Amino acid sequence: MADEDRDPTVSQRYRELGREEPPPELDAAILAASRRAAEVHPAPLVAPTGRRRWYFPVAAAAIIVLAAAVTFHMDRQQPEPDMPVAAAPAPESAKTPVIKPSAVERKAPRAEAPKRERRTDDARKPAAYSFAPEPPAQTAEAQRAAAAPATQGAASAPAARSEVHAARLMAQAESPERTLERIAELRRQGRHEEADQALKEFRKRYPDYKIPEAMLQKVEKK
Amino acid sequence: MEAPDEQLMLAYRDGDAGAFETLYRRHRARLYRFVLRGVKSRATAEELYQEIWIRVIEARERYTPQARFTTWLYTIAHHMLVDHWRQRGLSLVSLDGSESIPDAAADPQAQAAARQGLTRFMQALEALPPVQREAFLLHEEAGLTVAEIASATGSNEQAAKSRLRYALAKLKAAVDG
Repeated sequence: MADEDRDPTVSQRYRELGREEPPPELDAAILAASRRAAEVHPAPLVAPTGRRRWYFPVAAAAIIVLAAAVTFHMDRQQPEPDMPVAAAPAPESAKTPVIKPSAVERKAPRAEAPKRERRTDDARKPAAYSFAPEPPAQTAEAQRAAAAPATQGAASAPAARSEVHAARLMAQAESPERTLERIAELRRQGRHEEADQALKEFRKRYPDYKIPEAMLQKVEKK
Repeated sequence: MEAPDEQLMLAYRDGDAGAFETLYRRHRARLYRFVLRGVKSRATAEELYQEIWIRVIEARERYTPQARFTTWLYTIAHHMLVDHWRQRGLSLVSLDGSESIPDAAADPQAQAAARQGLTRFMQALEALPPVQREAFLLHEEAGLTVAEIASATGSNEQAAKSRLRYALAKLKAAVDG
């Protein structure tokens, strides 16, 4: 560290402010969560072979089928407005990161859960955040069905919840780049609340992903 | 000799819970203070602090030591704070720091002067624009270099250096004032 970036008197005064530490119960909750996560068998560092090879394609297929079923159900509930068909996502590039299934799951949103209790479910349960090693290519119909709810207007409450759920499932099968493009599109359409929520979830899923400056201008609310 | 942070995180990635505990105890206090100084209330700070560590735990399988662990950790913390500030319109925050101001001496006048000095400093810290305060805290609390601050905050080194220097200048004025 260069000396010109530090002032001893300022540092001293800052230290005098206090040396607060997290309370013991907070430490305990976090360490307990870390131990629970470590108890689950971690995903292999290399692609699985043999018996376990079938996990990922089956999980990917299940996500697509579920997303298509939900959106099909929504279509049956109300007439589909004359909306433009979403463009097919670009073929996944080699840059798409390999994402391993996460063993740590949260309970319901924070407001509904005990303040410092985090729970993780074991790997047997189909994880809502499971990913295939490479995001699968969707059929045109599945893409249109999955994209349509995102472009529909106001719906009834159950349909709105299904729309949000389908959007989340679609987001989970996307690459980071595709997700950012989707958020940028929401922002361009003036759907800032959805964009904010999607960006927040993106940050959770990819906490250390550095968004390029050009894309950041598109996805952040001005 | 203790294992470096990156090695501990890799060990935790591979299932060693004890490695995480060591890592956690190394960074808990500094990270907590970094969050505490950047938000409005202690309760909010605790919530964000816990969320940061949960994200570290969840991201362990994607972790690769491309940078210092500290930089990676505070990148996550930065994103959490940015989301928090954005939701609250980047308003200035106040800290319930009265209990954290120590008595400088038995002399009541000296104590009062010390409190006044610390209060002035704390107010100056609170009054910094969030990006400058964050740069200062990343440097002072987390020990990040200018380059690492730039990396953690998604900015460039020039901007990080500028924010840090502005912050130092204002805090220095509060100390000297």
